[in-house]
Amino acid sequence: MIDFQLTDKQRQLKDALEGLGRHVVRPQSLAWDRDHTVSEAFLRQFMGMARAFAGEGSAERFLGTGEEPGAGHGADRGAPRGKPSQANRTAAVGAEALAWCDAALLLAMPGPGLGGPPVRSTGTPEQRQRFFGIFKDMSQELRWGAYGLTEPGAGSDVAAIRTTCVKDGDAWVLNGRKCYITNGARAAWTVIFATVDHRLGRAGHRAFVVEKGTPGFSVGKIEDKMGLRASETAELVLEDCRVPEANLLGGADAHASKEGFMTAMKTFDTTRPLVGAMACGIGRAAYEHARYFVRERYLLSRPIPRYAALAERLARVGRRLEAARALVHHAVYLADLEQQNAKEASMAKAYAGQAAVHACTEAIDLCGAHGTLAGSDQLLEKWFRDIKVFDIFEGTGNIQRVVIAKRIVSGLKAF
Amino acid sequence: MLSFEPTEEQRLMRDSVGDFARATLGAHAREHEAMRGVPDAVRRAAFELGLGTMDLPEDAGGQGLGLVTTVLLEEELGRADAAAAFALAGPGAFGTAVAELARPLERAALLAPFASAEAGHARFGAVGWSELRPNAERAGMSTVAVRDGAGYRLSGHKAFVHNAGLAERVLVVAQVEPERGWDGLGAFVVPTDAPGVTIGARHATVGLDCAWFGELGLDAVSVPAAARLEPEGSFTAALVRFFAKRALVVAARAVGLAGRAYDMARSYCDERVAFGKPIGHFQAVAFELADRHMDVESARWLLWRAAWHWDGAQPERAALGASAAATAHALEVAMRTADACVGLHGGIGFVRDLLAEKLMRDAKQMALACPTALLCDQLAAAVEVGAPLDPAAVLPTPEAQAIFVC
Repeated sequence: MIDFQLTDKQRQLKDALEGLGRHVVRPQSLAWDRDHTVSEAFLRQFMGMARAFAGEGSAERFLGTGEEPGAGHGADRGAPRGKPSQANRTAAVGAEALAWCDAALLLAMPGPGLGGPPVRSTGTPEQRQRFFGIFKDMSQELRWGAYGLTEPGAGSDVAAIRTTCVKDGDAWVLNGRKCYITNGARAAWTVIFATVDHRLGRAGHRAFVVEKGTPGFSVGKIEDKMGLRASETAELVLEDCRVPEANLLGGADAHASKEGFMTAMKTFDTTRPLVGAMACGIGRAAYEHARYFVRERYLLSRPIPRYAALAERLARVGRRLEAARALVHHAVYLADLEQQNAKEASMAKAYAGQAAVHACTEAIDLCGAHGTLAGSDQLLEKWFRDIKVFDIFEGTGNIQRVVIAKRIVSGLKAF
Repeated sequence: MLSFEPTEEQRLMRDSVGDFARATLGAHAREHEAMRGVPDAVRRAAFELGLGTMDLPEDAGGQGLGLVTTVLLEEELGRADAAAAFALAGPGAFGTAVAELARPLERAALLAPFASAEAGHARFGAVGWSELRPNAERAGMSTVAVRDGAGYRLSGHKAFVHNAGLAERVLVVAQVEPERGWDGLGAFVVPTDAPGVTIGARHATVGLDCAWFGELGLDAVSVPAAARLEPEGSFTAALVRFFAKRALVVAARAVGLAGRAYDMARSYCDERVAFGKPIGHFQAVAFELADRHMDVESARWLLWRAAWHWDGAQPERAALGASAAATAHALEVAMRTADACVGLHGGIGFVRDLLAEKLMRDAKQMALACPTALLCDQLAAAVEVGAPLDPAAVLPTPEAQAIFVC
């Protein structure tokens, strides 16, 4: 049956997270943004609260704090047949609500993060146990995982990575640089993609779990970014870094074909709708801020001629966000049904990224000069800075359109 | 629980209406365009399928299928030939208006003729709302209804009336209390054969050629007091509900048209070869297709969501907001997609050998066949900021933007 009602649990999760956001998270957001970090004490406290609200499974999924069954098709474990899981839908609701509070906080949460999906989908049982095991008990020490694919010369064109891996006895020797790695400096391990021979293209790719402290593995520059400043973005350097054979993700067999590259891509099918959901959360925050401003300034005080024009712009922002959310919910609905959703995931991400950028830029216009002032109760300028990267990371808007185009245009392999 | 799956029953209905629409409407779209209507046999077949009364409550002679099912089926009609959908018989806007504005007994009596097995397939409804120009002296309609003994006397001129020349009865909205502006309106059911009623010439329009659009003159037309419809609650609120719900039917046809335009464009981009490869293999073309695909899908989900708000008994203001957003998005998406369809076809898109140009004309006409995107945005914003629903701002008045009420 066609239904747009959130379940009671999803509604409670949303309300609880937004309550925390309003009273606990947002008052601190600007300070975190300036300090370039969220305190460990707060992260610890927040993890506990979110888990209590969401239930273990869903919290893990949208916080990325542990090993959970993969979303969508290809999941090696899922709900029993006949009763589709709600996990992806609940995760989308949670991700939107948490990004509505503070997207940087979500990215800074301890856990395997983006490194989780490739280990989950491609790792051997031993690898999964070993690399996810460290997140089981974080009472003494918080831990993060990371995902290292992008290079200075290989962004959207991930097949062009130049980090090399050479087999040497019972180890692989890695050389290269990775950039824009979320939680890269603090991560206990990072999934690093390298190539045995760049002329082989995708077939030459290998994925390794490289542990912090491995000789030859160091942190380069920590980026000073426009937004999401409380989230750490690092450069990683590999110089004759010897990685044990046991850390080759999936073992040698998994890399006999193009599997290595597919590992990189599989990650995105599961995470793109959630990134879209996060974009909706930031966009909605900006929209609500502007809506409040318009109500206070142009409606309640006295009728001002500008109202009709502002109302129209406000409504356009609102409906574009609704359209984005509908695409996100459709993509996660398909994921819960374990149906193919690569196209829908890209549609959700592409549309939501742009809709939310539009929402934030319009919101500033609607509020005028006030919209640009920073303050603990005036986060619009921060959301405006935070949102732009949602149309860039996890595949730019244009790359999403490449993914979509390949699935709607006959016989299209590449442009 | 978030779900995008129609019920089994809805799927079966959608399939049979889709089959009918493709074979009977879609396959003859140009013939119907040329004859500026659909043949009696087509109207009869549509009537027998129950199209036309599906969204009306059962106590009003309808099938009570609800708006979700209605938009699923209307999308099929729009996909086959949106113009023909406006030429089928049935109460149409008249039915929705009566359902919102009349008391239960009245509405049953007014809508029963549309369910008649013998004549229902040839009965049309009409709503006389729009006027050619705003009233220069005061807010409100220039068409007035004046108390006259036990009844009313209506005088004025209604414009852009869908089915004016086909309907036996028109629901006319006239000014009853001139001093109250847009809050002083009243609705009257006027037989088109009443003395003083004149039907203007049929308009030639840019699109939806099948649909009958024209003007309606009212020269001291006498109607009994019972002809006035008065809802139990606020008249203005009932009017807003009428426009919002009816707009979803037009929006559903718009989504159907947009889907058709997208499919045509995509197929053509697969086939047409330029510079040695299918044009869909050029990024500028493929990205345009991807954007239009996102448009069509998102428009469909917003439409379902809005219809679900009404069927699922969500708060009225939320349902109005969702309907306004869905309608505005669908109308714009239909226009963008049809425009892209013509553009991607190149020269042949401009030629009447193909349907692309018709889709573009129909899309533009449809954007004015219910409250427009601009007006929907005013309604959505009023709902969102918690403003009172000022009829001058949220209704398609002659002061705001003239529309065809379909």
